[in-house]
Amino acid sequence: MIPTARYELRMMLRKRSMWISMAIIVGLLSLTAFRQISDAVRDNDARGVMTTVALLVNIFLPVGYGSLLADRLVRDQLLGVAPILDATGGSALARLFGKYLGVCAAAAVPLATVYFGFAVVYTVVSGRPAGLAWALAAFAVVLLPAVLFVGAFALAVPLIMPASLFRVLFVGYWFWGNAITPATMPTLANSLVSPIGGYPLSALLGYRDTVSAGPTPGASLNFLRPQPTPATAWLSIAVLFALAALALYAAHAIRARTTR
Amino acid sequence: MRPLLLWRYEVRRAGWAAVLAPPLVAAIVVLLAVVDAADGADQRGTVIRNLFAALEMGLPLVAGIGAASLVGRDPAAELQLTVPTPYRATLLRRLAVVVGWTALVALLIAAVLLVIDGWADRPQAHGAVVGQLVWLAPTLWLAAVGFLAGAVFRGPAAAGGLVAVLWMIEQILTEAVQQHQWSRLLYLFATSQGTVPADWTGNRLTLVATAIVLGIAAWLLLGGTERLVRGEAG
Amino acid sequence: MQIDITGLTKRYKGGVPALDRLDLVVPTGMFGLLGANGAGKTTLMRILAGLLRPTAGTVRIGGRDVTTRAGRLAIQRVLGYLPQDLGVYPDLTAREFLDYVALLKGIDDRSDRRRRVGELLEVVALTADADRRLRGYSGGMRRRVGIAQALLADPRLLIVDEPTAGLDPEERIRFRTLLAQLAGARTIVLSTHIVDDIAQTCRELAVLATGRLVFRGTVDELVRRAERHVWSVVTTGPAPTSGTIVSAVSHDDGMRYRVVSPAQPTPDAEPVPPNLEDGYLALAQTRS
Repeated sequence: MIPTARYELRMMLRKRSMWISMAIIVGLLSLTAFRQISDAVRDNDARGVMTTVALLVNIFLPVGYGSLLADRLVRDQLLGVAPILDATGGSALARLFGKYLGVCAAAAVPLATVYFGFAVVYTVVSGRPAGLAWALAAFAVVLLPAVLFVGAFALAVPLIMPASLFRVLFVGYWFWGNAITPATMPTLANSLVSPIGGYPLSALLGYRDTVSAGPTPGASLNFLRPQPTPATAWLSIAVLFALAALALYAAHAIRARTTR
Repeated sequence: MRPLLLWRYEVRRAGWAAVLAPPLVAAIVVLLAVVDAADGADQRGTVIRNLFAALEMGLPLVAGIGAASLVGRDPAAELQLTVPTPYRATLLRRLAVVVGWTALVALLIAAVLLVIDGWADRPQAHGAVVGQLVWLAPTLWLAAVGFLAGAVFRGPAAAGGLVAVLWMIEQILTEAVQQHQWSRLLYLFATSQGTVPADWTGNRLTLVATAIVLGIAAWLLLGGTERLVRGEAG
Repeated sequence: MQIDITGLTKRYKGGVPALDRLDLVVPTGMFGLLGANGAGKTTLMRILAGLLRPTAGTVRIGGRDVTTRAGRLAIQRVLGYLPQDLGVYPDLTAREFLDYVALLKGIDDRSDRRRRVGELLEVVALTADADRRLRGYSGGMRRRVGIAQALLADPRLLIVDEPTAGLDPEERIRFRTLLAQLAGARTIVLSTHIVDDIAQTCRELAVLATGRLVFRGTVDELVRRAERHVWSVVTTGPAPTSGTIVSAVSHDDGMRYRVVSPAQPTPDAEPVPPNLEDGYLALAQTRS
């Protein structure tokens, strides 16, 4: 499992196209939100800044790395290495899990580079070392669960549809399930099932800028939106992990069926 | 004019997913409207809003990611690069299939809007004829971006990711985009999300013009066979 | 269609030249290109096919300069190319794939295309499976489809890169015979590391090593390089240590080794007539 993970991580980190596209994405984001970012870097509220940036990163970057991860499993089939890998020792499930950990790590590395890169800049400019501590906390409970969630579905879903169709549906889902105001239409946004991490952001890290979790008057599906508390925050993270596990298991089952 | 059969083969290259994607996305967006309006009052308004959303947001995304998927997953690329038919002409044909099919679905939705008198709800679109720019401008633009990104990265994953993030940025950072004239002119969702009314036509035409420029850049880049032989960047 | 290569150099990013000041003339007919993996054969094939641009030097095919767009287009019109890794579209049948490639090669007339595709399916013995999808084809069958597509536009220049990789012995022989029959007025460049393929079909060949030309001549000349260099050693003891062991076969009276060595490897070694593979090894030995 570990060798598979390490191999997958190395393969993905070596792809120049990943780094270049990430750089372009970060550049575009910085350009669009330039005023806000330059204000934030001078803001004294370390917690507020790091949680806001965490939210920003978690809205946009998953769409990028979800797209990048979409064909990792299918590539094995395409490149014809699947039979070779199958013939090596170790169970198929362990190898799948290793691959999963590898691609998630590969997505987490550029993500961490961007986020902690900003944290360092903030700490230096504002003189607030607490920024790094808050960044670490936000990375652990907000950014990382999203990576694990997206990674599982990005590996599993392209097994039953072409990766390009997955990319379209994933972007649509990400927007609908995270960014739509709950009162405008039925949506999973602001709920326990929202991978953007609204519950940990507000209940564990005290994010207050916009409403990112909890019941919205006039919205449907409010039963999925309990009040944000530390308990519901951890529940939300657990729900994301459970869904990720389900997706991985489905991937394993599909591959077992199609392997002759 | 090359035989029609060549176009049929390129349609087959696109695959069932490319055929399914535009109507599927449109159907999902409309379904959301139906579900939403089930307990609400303004059924007609909700459906019209979502039809415009399908036209201006959903279908361009499909075209953009479809265009981004054209370069880098062709198993016979090396062979294609040695035949008298230039490979970039073949890729352009495939792009036309993607955009053309999306356009057909868009026209169908536009026709539905015409039947239910939905165009009157969006006066800034200047009626059903000029109003075709509602979908045409962002579709051409995202398709051009996807095509160029595909030519640069030679891989659908990175190119598709870039299109996806661009779409999200324009969806979410609306206020930031609306702040300057130059970014307003490149705003994809001017009809659904609103913009300075006087800017609408300029915005649509700017998108079409930049799409052409980006498309030409992609065409020039795809002329380098050595890059395409090397395969995915990095 | 003669190929004239002068001072051909190809350098990729990183500096190490894949081809280094190559001078070579390839006449009409069947021509072999031999070399180990990484010798530069595929790079040369790709330059000839117009896929890669030389870093330096000139390549003229039938008088046309391969580095110009017009030259490349003119060559591609008469080119049949079988790459080392031929990818196909798995959802198409063999017939459809060939039809598609024929269209790409400019054979727009439907009946002409149908006739040619049918003929070539016969030639590569795939008529019975022509309407099965390519995803169900074995490696050998896909190779045959590859050969068929290379012949579609009746090419005057055929570039085949490792064509018999993955073919069983019968298929390999059938393919070699087919190629040899086509040679006639055509130029066929056969690049391979399987020496026997060249021995059975080519009169002339070139040997590449680390991007350089190390031999250019007839098959007989290369075989002669190993004259008095090939030995048969039968022993129950340890293997001979000098020279290169080409084969080791167990017999009742001990292990029989075939050794290529400039000097007699053991006192009881007997000289045997050399073949092309021995010549290739003798050449490698003189270089090292």
